[in-house]
Amino acid sequence: MTRKKILGSHVKRLLSGVSAHGGRHLTEVETDLMQTERLLEEAVERLTSSFMAIHQTVDARQRSINQLLAGGSVSDEDSARLSAMSGDIGQHVNAAITSMQFQDMTSQLIDRTLKRVTGLRDFLGTLSAHGDDLLPDSGSDEIVDRLGKVSMALAIQSLELRSVLRKSVNQQHLDSGDIELF
Amino acid sequence: MAKTILAVDDSSSLRQMVAFSLKAAGYNVIEAVDGQDGLDKARQQAVDLVLTDQNMPRMDGLSLIKLLRELPDYAKTPILMLTTESSDEMKQKGRAAGANGWLVKPFDPQRLIEVVKKVIG
Repeated sequence: MTRKKILGSHVKRLLSGVSAHGGRHLTEVETDLMQTERLLEEAVERLTSSFMAIHQTVDARQRSINQLLAGGSVSDEDSARLSAMSGDIGQHVNAAITSMQFQDMTSQLIDRTLKRVTGLRDFLGTLSAHGDDLLPDSGSDEIVDRLGKVSMALAIQSLELRSVLRKSVNQQHLDSGDIELF
Repeated sequence: MAKTILAVDDSSSLRQMVAFSLKAAGYNVIEAVDGQDGLDKARQQAVDLVLTDQNMPRMDGLSLIKLLRELPDYAKTPILMLTTESSDEMKQKGRAAGANGWLVKPFDPQRLIEVVKKVIG
C-alpha cells in the first residue's frame, strides 16, 4: 500500500470513528432528554391533579365539620363520611408521593447526560491536542503515526466513557414499580 | 415497641418520602445518605429492616448488603432494595448479595407499607 493510501485510510478511520462516537452519544443524550421531559411532564400533571384533589377533599371535609358544629350532634353517618374523607386525602397524598419521585429518576438521567457531555468534551479535547502537535510541514510517516496515536487514545476514551454510562433508569412513566420478595 | 427501619438513599427527597410513609405506619426510621453511612449507622444501632437504594456515592446498595451480611447482627436481618434498577440481572445480583426483596421505584406508600408489614410485621 502506498503512503498516500495508508494516510487516506488512517484519516478515513479517524473521521468515521469520531463521527460514530459522537453520533452514538448524541443519540443517547437525545433519548435521555426525551425520557426526562416525559417524566417531568407526567409528574407535573399528576402532582397538579393530586394537589387539586387534596384541596377539594379538605375543603369538603371542612364544610362537613362546619355543618356538624352548627348542628351540635354527630351521627354515625357523619362520622363515617368524615372518616372516608380522611381516607381519600390519604390516597391523594400517597399518589403525590409516588409522583414526587420523578426527581430521583430525572436527576439520574441528567447526571448520565452530564457525564456523557463531559466525556464528549474530553474526547474533542484529545482530538484538538493531537491536532496541535501536528505541524504543517509534517511528513506522511509522521502524520500516519500521529493519526494512529490519536485513534488509539480516542478508542480508549470511548471505552472508558461507556463504562461509566450504564443506564439505571428505564422508567417511562410514574406508575409504581414492581415488587418482588425473594 | 415500634420496629426500626434503616432507610438508605442519596436522594434527600426520597429519604423524606420513605420516612414520612413508614413513620405514618408507626415505624421508627433512621436515615442514611449512602451505603457507607448506612453501614456506620447499622453498626451503631440495631435495626429490624434495611431498605436501601442501589446507585449511591461512596458505597452502593449491593456492597452495603454484602458488608452487612458479614456482620453477625445482620446475618438474618431483612434487607430490601428500593431502586430505579429493574433488570433481572441486577435483581439476581441483589439476591446473591443477600437481599430479601426488590422494590422498583417509584414506590407507592401503601404498597411499601404492606411489604414492610409482611416482612417484619
